[in-house]
Amino acid sequence: MSLMRSELHFSNVSFCSVCQVPVAEGKSVQHTVDVLHKKLEQMGSVKQGSFCVDCETYHATNVSGQPSKLLYVMHNSETPRSCMALYEGGPCIVADANFDVLMVKLKSHFQNAKGHKVECRGSRYRYCDFLIKVGTVTMSSSARGISVEVEYCPCVVPGDCWNLMKEFMQSFLGPSVPELPSVFATKPEGLFAQAEIVDTMTQYLELFNKLRKSQIPGSNVR
Amino acid sequence: MEAPPVAVMPVTGGTINMMEYLLQGSVLDQALESLLHRLRGLCDNMEPETFTDHELVYLLKGQQGNPFILRARRSLSHPTSPWHLRYLGQPEVGDKSRHALVRNCVDVAASHSLPEFLNEMGFRMDHEFVANGHIFRKGAMKVVVSKLSRILVPGNTENTERLSLSCLVELSLLAPAGQDTASEEMRSFAEQLKPLVHLEKIDPSKQRH
Repeated sequence: MSLMRSELHFSNVSFCSVCQVPVAEGKSVQHTVDVLHKKLEQMGSVKQGSFCVDCETYHATNVSGQPSKLLYVMHNSETPRSCMALYEGGPCIVADANFDVLMVKLKSHFQNAKGHKVECRGSRYRYCDFLIKVGTVTMSSSARGISVEVEYCPCVVPGDCWNLMKEFMQSFLGPSVPELPSVFATKPEGLFAQAEIVDTMTQYLELFNKLRKSQIPGSNVR
Repeated sequence: MEAPPVAVMPVTGGTINMMEYLLQGSVLDQALESLLHRLRGLCDNMEPETFTDHELVYLLKGQQGNPFILRARRSLSHPTSPWHLRYLGQPEVGDKSRHALVRNCVDVAASHSLPEFLNEMGFRMDHEFVANGHIFRKGAMKVVVSKLSRILVPGNTENTERLSLSCLVELSLLAPAGQDTASEEMRSFAEQLKPLVHLEKIDPSKQRH
């Protein structure tokens, strides 16, 4: 029996808001992304590399009768050594990357829905204390939508910086600024609970599921 | 040598195909001090390390075949440390001349919501125990000397009872599949602990009652 004392830290992260940006009418996903990049650069944001968030879907194979709840296993390039596993609206864990190996071992009990793999890739920008990530969400190699994640690095308490964040988002997203992410609104501790990495992943998961259910917007996607 | 199991699915992260090489034995409590003294002399020079852990063994039963077993451990002495989740495969048969038990092993560090999450996955806790003792290292090898206690009231790690009047001694090493020099190194180390403790290759599947 090993007594692994990992260096993993499950500490709080700063407050992040993830939202969907609609594709401009008659334009492609790429064009809308380019417009966002241009706006961010005009504001004085500096491009700092790229990012990736992915999500695998698993369903339990040994449950007879009722459909089982889906298990989502996600990764985020901001926390490259970690793996987040979530049930929608249910418990979640943050584990190290070996959790992926464990899912391979569990393949007779949990089947990977291969067609359901979602990826969100894009550029990462910094503007003072804000980190902005504009991503293209793809499912089975077709672009399904655009995500914008904004992180206010100095603050871990959503209630303390939501208004500031909203104002900042207005500066490049215009009037279509999202509401406070429901993951924070529904916490029993309210808006003043500290944000965790899982909160960010929950927002991505909600966005992915919304895009999965939506129709592919025909000619808009290239 | 038997071909190592090959993972068929692509893996995003983590280390595939790690094997645990293991030798086990036991000493009576009366002989514990002399064994610890010997280990202090033989092992790497480090601060003495002790531990108190709570282990929960979870089973996931499928429609057929053996249940899938996972072991979840948490430190009682460092309650803020991550939980340790461990999968151990069936011991490899194959080479009889190999000196140690070899089995596939996946170690995962996980956040504190692990028990709740395992329940949601369909796992059910089968049994739990408390282990406390000493850890020594010698290069890549690890020696764990532990006293095992059963938990009298489920979940209450304060209320325990020793399982026996002896201590479990385990010599283990983690290495990628196919590194058989590991078992040779372990054998010669185990030789040096004789006659205080006889470390042997014990197949756990043959010990079930």
